[in-house]
Amino acid sequence: MSESTFMGVPREKIDWSPRIDYDKCNYCMDCVEFCPHNVYEINEDSEQKLTVKNPNNCVVFCRACGKTCGLDAIEFPNKPETTKHIKKIRKEAASNE
Amino acid sequence: MSKSYAVLPCNGLDKCAGCITKEVAINLTKESDSKIICPVLYRVADARYNKIAGENPVVVLDGCATRCASKLAIEKGIKISKKINITDEAKANNIVIGSGLVVGENELKLADIVTNELLKEEEQKKDVESVIFPESLEYEIYKKDKFVFRLPKGDFYFNENDCWVYVIGNKARIGVTDYVQKSLSDIMFFNEPALSSDIEQFEDAGSIESGKAVYEIICPVSGTITAINDKLLEAPELINKNPYEEGWIAEIELSDFESDKELLYTFDTYFDILKRKVDEFHV
Repeated sequence: MSESTFMGVPREKIDWSPRIDYDKCNYCMDCVEFCPHNVYEINEDSEQKLTVKNPNNCVVFCRACGKTCGLDAIEFPNKPETTKHIKKIRKEAASNE
Repeated sequence: MSKSYAVLPCNGLDKCAGCITKEVAINLTKESDSKIICPVLYRVADARYNKIAGENPVVVLDGCATRCASKLAIEKGIKISKKINITDEAKANNIVIGSGLVVGENELKLADIVTNELLKEEEQKKDVESVIFPESLEYEIYKKDKFVFRLPKGDFYFNENDCWVYVIGNKARIGVTDYVQKSLSDIMFFNEPALSSDIEQFEDAGSIESGKAVYEIICPVSGTITAINDKLLEAPELINKNPYEEGWIAEIELSDFESDKELLYTFDTYFDILKRKVDEFHV
C-alpha cells in the first residue's frame, strides 16, 4: 500500500486540502503546530507567512486543523462531492484494466 | 422549573464571539438557577467553584475553536455535560457576528437563541438499538513501545480515516479504532450526531474531543442514525477503554451499503494501514 494513494486512487487526483482565508488568518500557526503531516509551510519573510505547501500530504476527509482555528480561517472542499469524485476515478480505472 | 447549570464561559474579551459567551452566561443566571464560573478566577483559585461544578451539570461556552473554556475545564478535570461553540451556533442560525467588540442587536439575538436552546427541556429520545453485536470479539494486536493497538477480526469494515463499521443486514454499528483513541489520549467529550438524521458516507457522525484535539468521526457508511451510544455522554472515556465494544458510537440504518463498501477495507488491508500509521507517527 503506497502512501500516495487513498482508497486505491492516486492521491494527487483527489483535491482535498485546507484553504486559508487570508482575510481572517492572523498567523497564530496553531494549525501548523497541530498537523503532523507537514501540509503547511511557514515563510516568515513573505507577505503570506503561511501557505499550504504539501496539499497531497493532507489526509483525505480530515478537517482537524480547521477545528483548531479560532478565527475560522480554514475551509475544506465539499465531502459528498469528493466521495463521488473518488468513486468515479475508481470506476474509470477499473474499466481501463 | 427550567434546568440549571454551572456555566463556564470563555469570556474572551478580544473577540466578539467571546463576548457573546458572557451574555449567554448572564442570561442563564437570570432565567434559571444557573451559576457562573468566572474563567479568570477559576484558573487561579478553583476552590471557590469546585462545589458548584460538582453539584450542577457543567455547560462550557466557547466563543471560537481555540476552545479556551473547554481546555480550562479539561485542565481542571471537571466533567463537561454540554458544550456550545458560539461561532458554530452563529453559522447554524445564519447570524453574522460583528467584527467589533461591542455586542449589538444581532449578537444579543444569538445569545437569546443559545440560552433558550440550553434551557429547553429535552425531548425524550427514541433510540432503538437493533444491531445484534457479538458478545465477545477476537483481536489481532500490534505493539509499538508501550502502546498496544487492537483490531477486531470478523465482519468489520474500516475506512482509511480509522473508523469501523459492523454490518448485519441493512443495519450497522459504527465506531473509531484504537488508533484514534490512542492518538487523542483521554477523551473528555462526545458530541453526538443527531438521532434520525441522514448521513452520507464520510460525513461526520459527531465528534470526540480530548485536551489535544477535536476529532470528527468520519462515518464509514451512508444511512439514517437510529441509535446513539448514550453511555458515552456520561462516560466518554469508554471510547478509550474499548472503542469496539462499550465505546461504540452509533447505529445506522444503511441506505446503500453495496456502494459504500467500494470505499471500505476489510481486516487484512486496514491492519496493514494501521501498522504503517503507528510506525510513522509518535502517538
